[in-house]
Amino acid sequence: MNTILLLTIGKEIDFQESFVRILTDWGLTAGVAKAIWLPIPMILVIVLATLLALVATWLERKISAAAQQRIGPEYIGPQGILVPVADVVKLVFKETTVPRQADHLLFTLGPILVIVPIFLSFLIIPFGQQLIISNIGIGIFLWIALSSIVPIGALMAGYASNNKYSLLGGLRSAAQSISYEVPLALSVLAVVMMSDSLSTIDIVAQQSSQGILSWNIWRQPIGVVIFWIAALAEAERLPFDLPEAEEELVAGYQTEYGGIRFMLFYASSYLNLVLSSLIFAILYLGGWSFPLPVELLASWLGVSDTAVWLQPIVFSVGMIATLFKAYLMIFVAILLRWTVPRVRIDQLLNLGWKFLLPISLLNLLLTALFKLMVPILFG
Amino acid sequence: MDFSSNIAAQLNAGIILPEGIVILTLMVILVGDLIVGRNSARWLPYVAIAGLLTSIVALYFQWDTPDPDAFLGAFSGDNLSIVFRGIIALSTAVTIPMTIRYIQQSGTSLAEFIGIMLTATLGGMFLSGANELVMIFISLEMLSISSYLMTGYMKRDPRSNEAALKYLLIGASSSAIFLYGVSLLYGLSGGETNLNAIAATIPDVTGGQSLGLAIALVFVIAGIAFKISAVPFHQWTPDVYEGSPTPVVAFLSVGSKAAGFALAIRMLVTAFALVSEQWHFIFTALAILSMVLGNVVALAQTSMKRMLAYSSIAQAGFVMIGLIAGTDAGYSSMIFYLLVYLFMNLGAFTCVILFALRTGTDQISEYAGLYHKDPAITLCLSICLLSLGGIPPLAGFFGKIYLFWAGWQAGMYGLVLLGLVTSVVSIYYYIRVVKMMVVKEPQEMSESVKNYPEINWTLPGMRPMQVGLIISVIATSLAGILSNPLFTLTTDSVTSTPILQSAAVVQELPTDQMEISDNF
Amino acid sequence: MNLAEGVQLVSGGILAVMMIVTALGVVLLSNIVYSAFLLGGVFISISGLYILLNADFVAAAQILIYVGAVNVLILFAIMLVNKREDFKEIPGRWIRNASTGVVCAGLFALLGTMVLVTPWSVDSTSPAVIENTIVEIGKHFFSDFLLPFELASVLLLMAMVGAIILARRDLIPESMPRQETISTSLTLPERPRELTSIGATSGEEN
Repeated sequence: MNTILLLTIGKEIDFQESFVRILTDWGLTAGVAKAIWLPIPMILVIVLATLLALVATWLERKISAAAQQRIGPEYIGPQGILVPVADVVKLVFKETTVPRQADHLLFTLGPILVIVPIFLSFLIIPFGQQLIISNIGIGIFLWIALSSIVPIGALMAGYASNNKYSLLGGLRSAAQSISYEVPLALSVLAVVMMSDSLSTIDIVAQQSSQGILSWNIWRQPIGVVIFWIAALAEAERLPFDLPEAEEELVAGYQTEYGGIRFMLFYASSYLNLVLSSLIFAILYLGGWSFPLPVELLASWLGVSDTAVWLQPIVFSVGMIATLFKAYLMIFVAILLRWTVPRVRIDQLLNLGWKFLLPISLLNLLLTALFKLMVPILFG
Repeated sequence: MDFSSNIAAQLNAGIILPEGIVILTLMVILVGDLIVGRNSARWLPYVAIAGLLTSIVALYFQWDTPDPDAFLGAFSGDNLSIVFRGIIALSTAVTIPMTIRYIQQSGTSLAEFIGIMLTATLGGMFLSGANELVMIFISLEMLSISSYLMTGYMKRDPRSNEAALKYLLIGASSSAIFLYGVSLLYGLSGGETNLNAIAATIPDVTGGQSLGLAIALVFVIAGIAFKISAVPFHQWTPDVYEGSPTPVVAFLSVGSKAAGFALAIRMLVTAFALVSEQWHFIFTALAILSMVLGNVVALAQTSMKRMLAYSSIAQAGFVMIGLIAGTDAGYSSMIFYLLVYLFMNLGAFTCVILFALRTGTDQISEYAGLYHKDPAITLCLSICLLSLGGIPPLAGFFGKIYLFWAGWQAGMYGLVLLGLVTSVVSIYYYIRVVKMMVVKEPQEMSESVKNYPEINWTLPGMRPMQVGLIISVIATSLAGILSNPLFTLTTDSVTSTPILQSAAVVQELPTDQMEISDNF
Repeated sequence: MNLAEGVQLVSGGILAVMMIVTALGVVLLSNIVYSAFLLGGVFISISGLYILLNADFVAAAQILIYVGAVNVLILFAIMLVNKREDFKEIPGRWIRNASTGVVCAGLFALLGTMVLVTPWSVDSTSPAVIENTIVEIGKHFFSDFLLPFELASVLLLMAMVGAIILARRDLIPESMPRQETISTSLTLPERPRELTSIGATSGEEN
């Protein structure tokens, strides 16, 4: 099978093969079984990503409430946990309006173009050694490439709304994401340089030898900061949410949107946040690896590596570890949002081009230097 | 580790030492300007000239190197490329002195201009030796993009903007066509990018001629003809020449054109050896059109820069005779003519710049009576123009004779006769300028000449221009009479270059050529 | 034909059709913003074809560079200028359109024949042999394509310098020895004329 088609098919031989085997046992032919398998990873990704984003919106409400000494959502479900669901239901059933002078086609296409690349990027997120939709060679580069499509959607939405605030918001959004993509890519490149691979699996594997001590956060102190700033700017989170700055631009390119189209924008911003946090966890916090290596723990407890029941435990520990790290970063992002004022557009662009870009180049150079000088520590 | 050391051993990177020197100079200029600021304009041009001259010296020491292939065949430092790289570096070294005053008087920054010009030089130098498709394209783009930037350098002047935009659009489309042709070569040869490998595999794969190869040839020639501004790919030339800063025009007409010819020789002779009849035919057509149209349209021009633009189109037509001849004598006459053309054309442009700086015009009619106010410029411009026209005993005459002789030897009687006729036409419009300057009585002087400022060579930036002018004029007047070393150089470079030797249609003995050159 | 080949064939067909349709849209639509957005569609379809050809890195780079940078830049330029101008209907415009169409069709026919007639030599190494395309590309960059790869850095540096020069506001230096009035600065010294603001329409007179 074509290796690249694994983009959509999923490489985990064990999952796919066992699935196909079950179906063939039921009497289906192998071809049909494979065809049934085809859409499953995609559906899995969409469902999982949506769930993670919904949780993030709930967290946003709760944490912002705590930051402002309120209680926050309380009645819908325990601790208001069902508020995101209610949100979705409300937005789905709302009337969808399109301004009369707007460009109908582009107006609809804009939000779709924003959200699809973000969903696709979830393909490369590993939750464990085997728990990844597609372990493709270009791995993390796919995320960088796909995230560069997003500004087109924003520009499209801004242009189609036929509203000057929207147009300005769209232009700002594109300018911002272009400017911050460069330091982002450079800081990712420094990590890639250490792991000699773009694959997310390899990047995590390279950090998992010594538990918490071997995480990249210690080896890339500058890169971590640059990455996080740039990732927040890419996700258009405060303090970098200029495209939607209410005081200046009403709501930027989202101004004219309502109903399900607005929901796509809203979802994409949280999906982007979750995605950035997950990738942060993978690049710098050791991905699925536990602060103490699981194998070490197992040997302390006198369990052999090959025990049958160990494997599910390792899997679930890995998943929980990844999610915990990601949500830790989401917590930090939310806290930043409710405590830090917004920067001005010129400050934003100056920061990106005149500060982050040179620093990230320097970081890249330093990483290369250390890799040559102390190859034991830097891969 | 062993991959890199393994590769490093095979690179033979010393071949590109001259280019390395130019890159180093470029860095010194950019960083020096950054650190020192605007005052650096005082010494930066001299650093650039020194770097270019050092690079020429380095080229000299690489003459006849035993192993000319560098970077695993991507670059070839054979004698042919050395001559062309020398011509390009020299043309920039002569052009820079005339930029200093010009750029300062227009109030733009000098360091960046010289940086861009050095990059263009670098592109041309790499293009002359490029032996691999990717390398050819990158260096071609380097030359083109720097040329676009230089053309639009006077960004407040609408004429400069217009020239830059025209040049960019036409240039980009010609690059695209060239790239298409090159990609066909890649496909025809089964994924080879090295020119020698392409030449070796295409006959095996396609079994001789094919439609694909013919289309590749046409597309590649379209790209090359744009660079050497041969008719019908010349439409950009007059407008760009008129609108861009004059030093840029000087570079475009010499350095960029020489690079185009180097590319033409190398690509056509190696990769398109199979279809050599076809490319000879196409180039014959181009040469005829260029000579006729360039010379005839030049008659009607009122602006000096436009006239020189058409004249440069016509000169490209003359040079193409040598390429079409395809003999040793043909190639070496091409190189000889380009060398001579360098000095006479740059000398003419220096005079035009001097006149423009002092009077603010470049209309031919405004030159009337210049002799009475500034005999020095009049003399220099007359010498250069007469040499361009091919009046003996100036260098241009010998260059043209050599070209025509080589063409005649190769049996292209019609083309040579046409060349003779059109060069007679060209003498008319060159002489017209000379007559305008010399013959007019004092009362017939134009307004600008009447208001001619006092000649002051001590202004900043004037001295180098004077030096450049004197060098060009001396070279123009003497290169013809004392041409023996140049002849030896060009014939040596052709006879010692393997690609030309295997391709030359008519093998001639070097002694035969020496006789001819002695006759001159 | 198994499932994978079928998927490949169908997606190849879809991508090709998408590419041609969007490319035609870029050329033929009169609304330039639509053309610019469709250009993004062309780039994405090309990237899809690269994926089918097993060139995954090139595909991602295509999206990153062409969609993420080039196309956004074009959109920026169009939206910032956003000059709506109604062009006068040129008499006999259809003749031009028809002749352009004939030339294009002829060129297409010629190139199409060429593609079909020419005995292309197909590289026989199976792409499946190349395990990791990035490593392969890297090896080429640092061996036989080393010189062009390094040279591209000089090219990019100078392109950047040039772009900044063209874009920045020039401050007319005070220390210049003034021979002429300031109004002729930053123009061609021959035939000085009135200054226009940068970006104003050029070529009103020639």
